Amino acid sequence: MVTRRRARGYTMMEIAITLALFGVFLFIIVTMTSEMRRNEKKWPVNFFAHPEVGSVLARMRRDIYDSTARPDNFETYSSSPLTLIVYTINNDGTAETIVWDFTTPGEAHRKAFKATLLSSEWMARGLPLFMATAEPMPSGQDAIRVRAVDQEKKLAIDELIVPRPHA
Amino acid sequence: MPRNRGFSLVETLVALAILAIVITTTIAMFAERTRRLREASETILAFQALSNEAEYWRREPFTQIDKADNQTFKSDLAILAPMAPFTTDVKVETPRSDVRNVTLTIHWAKREAHLGIARADTGGSGLW
Repeated sequence: MVTRRRARGYTMMEIAITLALFGVFLFIIVTMTSEMRRNEKKWPVNFFAHPEVGSVLARMRRDIYDSTARPDNFETYSSSPLTLIVYTINNDGTAETIVWDFTTPGEAHRKAFKATLLSSEWMARGLPLFMATAEPMPSGQDAIRVRAVDQEKKLAIDELIVPRPHA
Repeated sequence: MPRNRGFSLVETLVALAILAIVITTTIAMFAERTRRLREASETILAFQALSNEAEYWRREPFTQIDKADNQTFKSDLAILAPMAPFTTDVKVETPRSDVRNVTLTIHWAKREAHLGIARADTGGSGLW
């Protein structure tokens, strides 16, 4: 005797419930994703968690704190929001000219010159677009305002650095 | 011969209840994570603005610090744009005639951030 298993399909109610549950899942995922994207669009990238950005800021702070002057030109470089030139003092008391060059997108180049000879060069990659401009303070002294924008052009870093007084 | 029947109503309900708990917990965790990330971003932006403002108040002439019409933020607050609407507040206290305590505050949503600096009358016009 041949036995046959009854092979019936799903009922309309089973399919409806399954699709409803799947719809709830889809709704939740779409809502969560759109909320995440909305949040990402509103806020600038937190660059303070990036070691390269921290290195650039730390070196710039030191250079600007110790600077004695901010010349308009040095060799082939001219001061601009993408090029910062400062005279600074080394640990041994000798003077040095520091050029911060942000003209290559995503990169920062720090070049130190003794007289006109390049004495050291340092660079960092994977950076936001940095800018350094002069900002007058109530005391009459100029501060350097260091700003960086992320790829969406949102302002992510805005730091005023004021050179220390030199006796 | 194995009995070949479907799930009972109780089994299905229990499975759905477990699924609901998992989904609810996941959503709650996600919402909490998003809130904490937003708060961290707000705090980072607020303290950048406060430390820039403090640089101005460190260089304000001592005699101008407690003038009523001077007690506003002086720095560019463009970095706070994602936190709009926000308000700022400067409070100056005089614990001694030659000391001023300046407290800078930014209020936004239901949060606020403070930064305080102390200024002493050294007789000079600058910081030192």
